[in-house]
Amino acid sequence: MKNNKIIDNLCIFLVFSFLFLPILVIILFSFNTSSLNIVFEGFTFDWYKELFNNKTLLEALYNTLIVAFVSTIISTIIGTISAYALKKYNFPFKNIILELLYIPIVIPEIVLGISLLAIYTLFKLELGLFTLILAHICFSIPFVIINVRSVLDNMDPNIEKAASDLGASKLKTFFYVVIPTILPGILSGAQLALTLSLDDVVISYFTAGPGSNTLPLHVYSIIKTGVTPDVNALITIMLLFVFVILTISTIINLKRLRRM
Amino acid sequence: MKKFLIILFVILCTGCNNNQEQLNILNWSSYIPDSVIRNFEKETGIKVNYSTYSSNEELLAKVSNAKEGTYDLIFPSDYMIEIMKNRGLLEKLDKSKLTNINNLNSNYLNLDYDLNNEYSLPFIAASTVISVNKEKIKDEIVSYNDLLNSDYKDEIVLIDDQRIIIGMALLANGFDMNSTNKDELEIAEDWLLKLKPNLKAYDSDSPKNFLIFEEASIAVLWNAEGAIAKEENDNIENIFPKEGFALSIDNFAILKNSNNQDEAYKFIDYILRPEIMKEIINSYPYKNVNKETDKMLDDNYLNNDAANISDETLKNGIFVKNIGENIKLYDRIWANIK
Amino acid sequence: MKNKTLRFIFLTPVIIYTFCLIVLPLLYILTISFFKSDFYGGMIYDFTLENYKELFNFVYLRIFVNSILIALVTTLICILISYPFVLAISHKSKKIQQIIMTLVMVPFLTNSLIRMYGWIVLLRKSGAINELLLNFNIIDNPLSLMYNNIGIIIGMVYTFIPFMILPLYNSVSNIDKYTLEAASDLGASKIKRFLNIILPQTLSGLFNGAIMVFTPALGCFFIIDILGGGKVMILGNLIKNQFLTARNWPFGAAISVFLILLTTILILIYKKIGGKMDDLGGI
Repeated sequence: MKNNKIIDNLCIFLVFSFLFLPILVIILFSFNTSSLNIVFEGFTFDWYKELFNNKTLLEALYNTLIVAFVSTIISTIIGTISAYALKKYNFPFKNIILELLYIPIVIPEIVLGISLLAIYTLFKLELGLFTLILAHICFSIPFVIINVRSVLDNMDPNIEKAASDLGASKLKTFFYVVIPTILPGILSGAQLALTLSLDDVVISYFTAGPGSNTLPLHVYSIIKTGVTPDVNALITIMLLFVFVILTISTIINLKRLRRM
Repeated sequence: MKKFLIILFVILCTGCNNNQEQLNILNWSSYIPDSVIRNFEKETGIKVNYSTYSSNEELLAKVSNAKEGTYDLIFPSDYMIEIMKNRGLLEKLDKSKLTNINNLNSNYLNLDYDLNNEYSLPFIAASTVISVNKEKIKDEIVSYNDLLNSDYKDEIVLIDDQRIIIGMALLANGFDMNSTNKDELEIAEDWLLKLKPNLKAYDSDSPKNFLIFEEASIAVLWNAEGAIAKEENDNIENIFPKEGFALSIDNFAILKNSNNQDEAYKFIDYILRPEIMKEIINSYPYKNVNKETDKMLDDNYLNNDAANISDETLKNGIFVKNIGENIKLYDRIWANIK
Repeated sequence: MKNKTLRFIFLTPVIIYTFCLIVLPLLYILTISFFKSDFYGGMIYDFTLENYKELFNFVYLRIFVNSILIALVTTLICILISYPFVLAISHKSKKIQQIIMTLVMVPFLTNSLIRMYGWIVLLRKSGAINELLLNFNIIDNPLSLMYNNIGIIIGMVYTFIPFMILPLYNSVSNIDKYTLEAASDLGASKIKRFLNIILPQTLSGLFNGAIMVFTPALGCFFIIDILGGGKVMILGNLIKNQFLTARNWPFGAAISVFLILLTTILILIYKKIGGKMDDLGGI
């Protein structure tokens, strides 16, 4: 049995080193005095200062955040309403719509990217932040719907009934009873939408225009000419941010686990 | 909820409603240093949105995919000027808006792809060159056919540009670089397939990195890339092969119905200033076409044979030509050799 | 507010969304796949099957086979790494499981391109891995670890592995512990336990992961561009080139239709073996 444990731990260790190696490299080189990312020459914090002078990089970060937040908020609102409506109401072609909603999840991103580009060209939409946000909303909504639906399915139907028996209007019931109950589903859907949007390369590649360069697109354009350590520094800061949020949410989850 | 929507609205407004003067530039990657753009922004208050492409074909696709007015200023090469001009994509230039136009070297004006420079003005000239790391490769390389040597497995990097690379294969076999003859193209295709085992990568954005990081020992690349590689690594030698090489003049051009034409002229005029052009040439040492800049160039540039190509060598350069519908033959070959 | 109005307000967004952002774009792609292309980027609105015939040209068939092979190998390696890993975690306490799974997600919450760059730094000839091997005299000359299939597969596996780990972990944690214990009490060997209990019970999770790794791997052009050195082509690059370089939209659209069909077939198989569609999006 002890043998097994060693194999288990070794296995976990190997996978973790595979997953974290490239990230450690990025973090390490953000403190490097040389700008070439080849050998570690000396320790410095300079790149963290330098970062704030790199206007292109900051602009890309700004665009990324705008696109991510706006598309997450809109797709969360639409996704939540839609999940509720699809559960509550029957209408013609409902089953077809239910199936169609899986398309953005399963088809290769590139197909979604080019078909959005084609439609934008057809309707003569100017490529930029707007088209980019629209594209991100497009691939986020189904993920929100699925997450919200899984919570809705477990919701006790009597809650809604009780509310309306007490005289609350449908709309009031939705806002004051349904939403609070399904909030965990909404939040996990929103979190997923945010994550997908922050890191999207393929769809953004086709739907962005001048002045809407995002961080992933910026890194893509400089990856062959050479990534400067200030980009490493920015990524390190973002990673730290993600790590803090995850630690907090894990602690909360673990507490909940203990209570169960 | 309401607060949420208001915040959302504010974000959307600040994101999309920019009344600031703007200029949307679409340019080759590794061509104009960031500092030059930032300085222009500081001087004029115009916000520059800068995007890049890595081949003329990609430029054409990006421009035709996007709604008119999406981009303002582009930098097509000679033959692409002709194609874009014929398709009505370019705006006629109003040269009276350019105070520095007389700085241009007349050798590069009034060429047959755009007589009288109605639609374009030269920005720089570039040629392809073979860069070799002499420490790793001892044999002398004078011809494209020397690249077929089986000792060079995995050692060669090529620019990711179909006209240039298929053109190179045509030259290697003694044909015209712009041939559209099917038999000749077939021979060129076979030649490229023979070369394939020796290839490390195709890269247009920064092939010099392969040489600098010693990832590969031979590269067919644009002259400025070769010149930088030589500056970074003394073992690099740049060779103009005996069969000839591709020559290209990249130009300023303004897109039809651009919304920011005044800003575009301001930018062109700014680049035409001798000291600005010098800054560009220092970062990306292509062949300079500004005669005022010529007077102030550093020895570093003048002594680098890949940067400051001699007129004697330039005579061997060949322009890529517009081949019309025959481009489909090239497309097919390109898909096959990759 | 009247019930009907409410119903209308609630249903409108999803119907508009499905129609405008899913049905319309895909139908349009299907339509242009039957158009002719003029030689510099335009389309001629004339019905033709030429684009589909072109798909069977030897040049492109080779690319299809190549992409399917790369995607298959990626999926297989993801499975080979994920199974032992997920089983190893499942032996830990619930608390540790939760921490490990959170940590697994951390790398994937950073920019995927910068992670590719991390691999470039590690894999290149003067990179960390080669330096290490050279220092310990394991090799005499630096190995070529990127700009070839090795680099591509490493990049692909790295990018898509969470899509395999997560569904597998979910289905492994749903396996009835008592059945497993009973089996081992009755003397079933490890391999037997795996084949008879674990594998069947995790099959839909496995196939879920396989779909979520295989299909994006067919289209993911940037990994190939960066780690493959631009000399390997897969369907993703081919489509990208048709739209962004070769200016042949109808042909690019035809390849996309082919990809959609391929995905549909995989989904149908997945449904047939009892997979739930919602699990595909439950990352």
